[in-house]
Amino acid sequence: MTLVLGFMFVNFTIKKNAPQEEVKSEATTYHVPDDVQKILDKSCVGCHNSDSKNIKGKGKLKFDELADMKLYKQVGKLADIADVVKEDDMPPKKFLKNYPDREPTAEEKEKLVNWANDMAKQLTPAE
Amino acid sequence: MKILKFLIVILVIVIVIIQFIPNDKPEVVLANENDLIYNNQLPEHISVMLKESCYDCHSNETVYPWYSHVAPVSWLVVKDIREGRNELNFSHWESQSKMDKAKNLDKIIDEVTDENMPMPIYTIMHANAKLSDNDRQLLAEWAESYAESLFE
Repeated sequence: MTLVLGFMFVNFTIKKNAPQEEVKSEATTYHVPDDVQKILDKSCVGCHNSDSKNIKGKGKLKFDELADMKLYKQVGKLADIADVVKEDDMPPKKFLKNYPDREPTAEEKEKLVNWANDMAKQLTPAE
Repeated sequence: MKILKFLIVILVIVIVIIQFIPNDKPEVVLANENDLIYNNQLPEHISVMLKESCYDCHSNETVYPWYSHVAPVSWLVVKDIREGRNELNFSHWESQSKMDKAKNLDKIIDEVTDENMPMPIYTIMHANAKLSDNDRQLLAEWAESYAESLFE
């Protein structure tokens, strides 16, 4: 738990009061906790990266490009990650049938969902 | 010939019987205080497109066509409207957090650009719901500028 908390500290290159141009030109720095990174590597990044052969998967999300996207899109993708993992839409059932060892455990799913939700919230400006 | 007649009679009986299977239609509510169009100054062509191409399934303002009252088509219609409203309901737009607005605007852009929405089965019966390439681009541009304005 302390490990998680330690890594949950997130550094932003984006300052809250930074002018808009800066927001657009600077990438977000994601400090992904090790345990979350492990889950992403095990269950997600295989399809969701620029070099993936899975056209549909990489069309929806490429983790290596996430930090460079417009801020609203990063938040949108992160919030969607939380949704699809929570609702067991991802990883796809067909994929898990072929690669059962890639299935995240209930605990891993919760960790991933919380991380994605927290990141999305942190990147969203106050109402 | 006799068999064919028999089958037709059976079919008719089945169709009549299935009309009595309960199939609760999602309720229609026309005035929704958290509605997207009601609360925001959208360009007119955008609100027209949203109403014509999205609102039947993605709002509480569903217009039920006559065939939506006839089983088994009604089952399909009800299922799609339920799922549609569940996924995104423009009637509840303002009750979402900024984060969820960003998520839904991003999804709108993807779904409309990838031509997943509106669903082909819907546009077969609703010709005016069809979106041209130009319509899709305009909708995506609107969604993007709206999303960006939330993050300024």
